[in-house]
Amino acid sequence: MTDTEISNMKAEESPGAETPCQLPDAEICERLLRTMLSSRSAEERLIRLYHQGQIQGGVFVGIGQEAIGAAATACAAEQDIFAPLIRNMSVHVGRGQTMLNIFRQWLTRSTGPTRGRDGNVHHGCLEKGVYGMISHLGAMISVATGAVMARRHQGIDSVGFAFIGDGGTSTGDFHEATNFAAVFDVPIVIIIENNRFAYSTPTSKQYRCDQLIDRAVGYGIEGISVDGNDVIALHDVFQKTVQTIRTQPRPVLIECHTMRMRGHGEHDDFSYVPAELITEFKDKDPIARAKSRFMDGGIMTAEDIDALAKACLEEIDDAYQQALKDPTPDPETLLDGVYADE
Amino acid sequence: MSECTYIDAIREGLHAVMEEHEEVIMFGQDVGAFGGAFKASKGLQEAFGEKRVFDTPICESAMIGSAIGMATQGLRPIVELQFVDFGTTAIHQILNNAGTFHYRYGVPVPMTLRAPCGGGFGGGPCHSEELEAIFCHMPGIKVVYPAFPADARALLKAAVLDNSPVIFLENKYLYRHLKEKLPDKPETLRLGSARVCRTGRDIAILTYGAMVTESLDAATLVSEEFGYEATVVDMRTLKPYDTDTILSAVSIANRVLVVHEGWRTCGFGAELAAFVSEHAFHMLDAPVRRLTAPDTPVPFSPILEKRYRPNAQNIRQAIIDLVEY
Repeated sequence: MTDTEISNMKAEESPGAETPCQLPDAEICERLLRTMLSSRSAEERLIRLYHQGQIQGGVFVGIGQEAIGAAATACAAEQDIFAPLIRNMSVHVGRGQTMLNIFRQWLTRSTGPTRGRDGNVHHGCLEKGVYGMISHLGAMISVATGAVMARRHQGIDSVGFAFIGDGGTSTGDFHEATNFAAVFDVPIVIIIENNRFAYSTPTSKQYRCDQLIDRAVGYGIEGISVDGNDVIALHDVFQKTVQTIRTQPRPVLIECHTMRMRGHGEHDDFSYVPAELITEFKDKDPIARAKSRFMDGGIMTAEDIDALAKACLEEIDDAYQQALKDPTPDPETLLDGVYADE
Repeated sequence: MSECTYIDAIREGLHAVMEEHEEVIMFGQDVGAFGGAFKASKGLQEAFGEKRVFDTPICESAMIGSAIGMATQGLRPIVELQFVDFGTTAIHQILNNAGTFHYRYGVPVPMTLRAPCGGGFGGGPCHSEELEAIFCHMPGIKVVYPAFPADARALLKAAVLDNSPVIFLENKYLYRHLKEKLPDKPETLRLGSARVCRTGRDIAILTYGAMVTESLDAATLVSEEFGYEATVVDMRTLKPYDTDTILSAVSIANRVLVVHEGWRTCGFGAELAAFVSEHAFHMLDAPVRRLTAPDTPVPFSPILEKRYRPNAQNIRQAIIDLVEY
């Protein structure tokens, strides 16, 4: 069997195709859709800016995977901790990072979250409990775990959300951190976004287990599989999980089955991805599915959704234009802040 | 005042800083009830409870990664690496995560990695390494390496209370070979200050760790035999290092010998030698000389290790060669 055939087979067998979950409250539905739309529109803008040559370095997006971060952030409390990765624009947006700060970051402005000291997806906002990533996959799971441990030590009933991809689960760091969290009963949701490709490597060359949550038993924790393109199912799973582990602390492994709809970065034409897989997942687009469910459920009208989409775009326009006017880093500040207390 | 070993001084320092600062916690392999592989944390779990002193699985990356999470949420974690050699399995957490965090986000990461290092006890290639040069190469990381019990106690407190990530190197040979009377009230030390252990006008020896006492012994030998008088500078903090004390020592002695137990090529001595060459060339009467371990794995056999590791005898010879250059 070829790798492509294996990838296709896994796509067809992905669980959670049916969605039995009831719709959450209208307010939450609107929040979920707004987070996804905002993230999608921001990333589509970034892709355009990339091709115009306005972006330093690469552009890496989570188009098609927005539902996961949107649902996770909608189920979190203020005191919770997030460790997003490369495809988690919707975590930043869902956690309340402003579009202005996001564009400042991507345009390497001195006013942005990393003040030009780090770029693109490498940003966070500790006031909102969001840790910026390093590129070494799996490394942030233990950081988020430690942050939750510290807050719990201080009497705060914090829960963590750490993100990893199918490729990242092959690292030693994933194993160390998951085992560590299990041993100390740290309430952290370790979210595997299985998008079928780690750069060009299909899951058939990444692991031998049937599904990645099979590993949960080895850590002595619960593993849950969910359709990563169904924001309602995701919301249901995250909410139940978070409610449970906030009071009965322990880690949970949640595998979200999804598909990377672009290249690893915008420099990558992803010709190695079977076209039929892209076609299949275009039909499973999380935003389109959410829209139709919300309309069918009488939560939102087409006009409501159009207005929401328009508002998201306007916010992005404003943020982009303001960020363009903001200053770039002053070379004289190169040496500043290597150590604290300088 | 009773005599205190280097390891006892570290334990006292840990106890004191944990007693005074409730945000300090400590974890690592076997550090809890067992008290640590070298007994540095003996009694600490009993004193401060399992929430503040606890064992972890064998997972250096998760230990250091979680410490970063804790340090950025108001705690001051101390992580014990059982041997510095094992820290290499978590280099990215130190270099890319802890070391870059404040530069990237402006958020302090007050964490201390205690790392027993060095040879001289037959530990072989995986338990005797001196990796200070690797850590000194990393932006955003401070590196401390005490040579005496009193300094170990005082510098440990300074490291734990520093707001940047600190690698605190502890020499295993010194753990039980070195005793000193400790002052009742611990000295307050800041990171980045060297100590002039001995003054002489003929040569300045820049050194640290276990090589400080070897250098002092060598200085006594050449003084008695030849009347050559050496200044011995214990660097104490390797990053940031004390440039003023180096320049002051060189300006008097005009000859410089750098001694360390770690490897030669790109060792920390290369940095010190380069610094002296750049900033004090006009004050030198002879080339800067380095006496270091050779670029070999740390050999296991005591016979081979004795040849590998600098000692008072070959430091003595290096002093003579340089003074008579």
